[in-house]
Amino acid sequence: MSASGLRSRSGLVKLLPYAFILPPMIYLMVFMFWPLSRQMYMSLTNTRIVNPNRGRFIGLGNYERLIEDPAFYVSLKATLVYTVLTVIIGVALGVVAALAIDRPFKGRAVARAILLFGWAVPGVAASLIWLWMYNERSGVFNRITELLGLGRFSWLTSTDYALGSVLAVTVWQVAPFVMLVVLAALQSVPQEVREAARIDGADGISTFRAVTLPHIRPSIQLAALLVAVWSIRRFDIIYLLTGGGPLGSTSTLVVKLRQTAFEGHELGMASAYGAVGLALALMVAAIHYTAEQRRMKRMSR
Amino acid sequence: MMTPRKLAVKALRYTLIGILVVLAGFPVYWMAATALNVNSQLYGTGQVAWPQLQHLPDLVTELDNVPIGRWLFNTLLIASGGTVLSLTLGALAGYALSRFKFHGRGLVGFLLFMTQVVPEALILVPLYAMFITFGLLNSLWGLILANVGFSLPVACFVLKGAMDAVPYEIEESAIIDNCPRFSVLTMIILPLIMPSIAAAAVVSFFAGWNEFLFASTFLMDRTLWPASVGLASFVGQYETPMSAVLGAALVFSTPAIVFFLLIQRKIVAGLTAGAVKG
Repeated sequence: MSASGLRSRSGLVKLLPYAFILPPMIYLMVFMFWPLSRQMYMSLTNTRIVNPNRGRFIGLGNYERLIEDPAFYVSLKATLVYTVLTVIIGVALGVVAALAIDRPFKGRAVARAILLFGWAVPGVAASLIWLWMYNERSGVFNRITELLGLGRFSWLTSTDYALGSVLAVTVWQVAPFVMLVVLAALQSVPQEVREAARIDGADGISTFRAVTLPHIRPSIQLAALLVAVWSIRRFDIIYLLTGGGPLGSTSTLVVKLRQTAFEGHELGMASAYGAVGLALALMVAAIHYTAEQRRMKRMSR
Repeated sequence: MMTPRKLAVKALRYTLIGILVVLAGFPVYWMAATALNVNSQLYGTGQVAWPQLQHLPDLVTELDNVPIGRWLFNTLLIASGGTVLSLTLGALAGYALSRFKFHGRGLVGFLLFMTQVVPEALILVPLYAMFITFGLLNSLWGLILANVGFSLPVACFVLKGAMDAVPYEIEESAIIDNCPRFSVLTMIILPLIMPSIAAAAVVSFFAGWNEFLFASTFLMDRTLWPASVGLASFVGQYETPMSAVLGAALVFSTPAIVFFLLIQRKIVAGLTAGAVKG
């Protein structure tokens, strides 16, 4: 932090920072936190879309319906499975890719650029590409499986494969981001430390575990946090690839929220789904925060 | 000379890189290959696996039937409007956080971090209700206002990081000469951090460029649709040939790919800073 910039000279100067911080904060209050609190309140009302500004307070009625609704558990399970698997697979692949291209080789710049494609392509465009590749009749995947004599698969319309298919697209998007974060950390591992370990007779794997891994662990954790939060937030590719189907197998809380609100017209109920989504996202953030604090404490000891 | 073991490790590493590059690159390659293919082949005899450049004129004719120009124009308006707004507000917040100690500083940091955790869908319904009241539904202005809530904090993180690296001494003499602090920000600090401003601009711009959830909910009028909503309208309809659909998707994706690759490190720094210091 820039300690030198924190000096203040007189009493009037004490008000000065608010001249800078208030406009953006008022903006966020109006367009982010006021809507957010309204959403929380709306989950306690029976608001419907025909008149979204008027709804009657019904207490925990929406949540009672939620607990009794099997579709809620389907959605919760889809969200959890999707998030956990995205984090595990996305982070693992991202770390592997980062380690693979960390050291220079011929064509590294090109390889690095191509590895980032999935991250750079807009979600809607990514959905269109993968929809075409998953196409049951003419998609490239089924052309390959047919060639191999495995027959055709209903990649997006069978409950067995839909979540996995959405997951593949998601991993294609997030693994490059993890790779970038980990690469940045890898490049700050002091080369001398690695050399020293090697001279001391450590082989590649033990050097990695003793020197490299502790150094990049905070970055991996941070990337995992962001990937988890994004998985809970993600709407575009899931909605466009499967629309939450088949049989709700990919209907994460966010997809369910939008459908309950704008197709089912029940804003109160949709808000209850949203509250659960927010609770999940906050839980992930809290876990990250606690782990970060503990690491700081260990480092200062 | 390399030992056999080292050689094996090296071969393994190149194989791994090769596999990863194919997995990551294939979908984009396939988008280009499909866009430049004959439609009868796409559905019938089988798609030719490489882009056929001789079909470029066909693709251009097909794209004439898709209002891609109008969509991209709307996208451009949404993305630029959002960029201007989020940079302005982000610079103010970034300067306050970088240069001042004040009551509520911790709260500000926490709220900025929260914006990166809250799912966009959670404020969808309340914003919808608010926009009905203020006549902002079905308007590009409303959409821009909604988008900036999420891009402003990232712009703030990027700009604050850059301002932290500018020594206080540079602005000190101006402050002693009673130069207004706002002018210090705009005339001394901002010109010094142009690369980071450019990075923050790219991040904000493409947040607006790619955005789909808000745009598909708030804009009913087809003439207002940005490219993300327009392209999504192809899902589940079969009149438009796939080569035109993916051709349009390619046109839409190319600027994003180019700019993301150009400033990848800055984007990552901006996205991760909020979660570290929050």
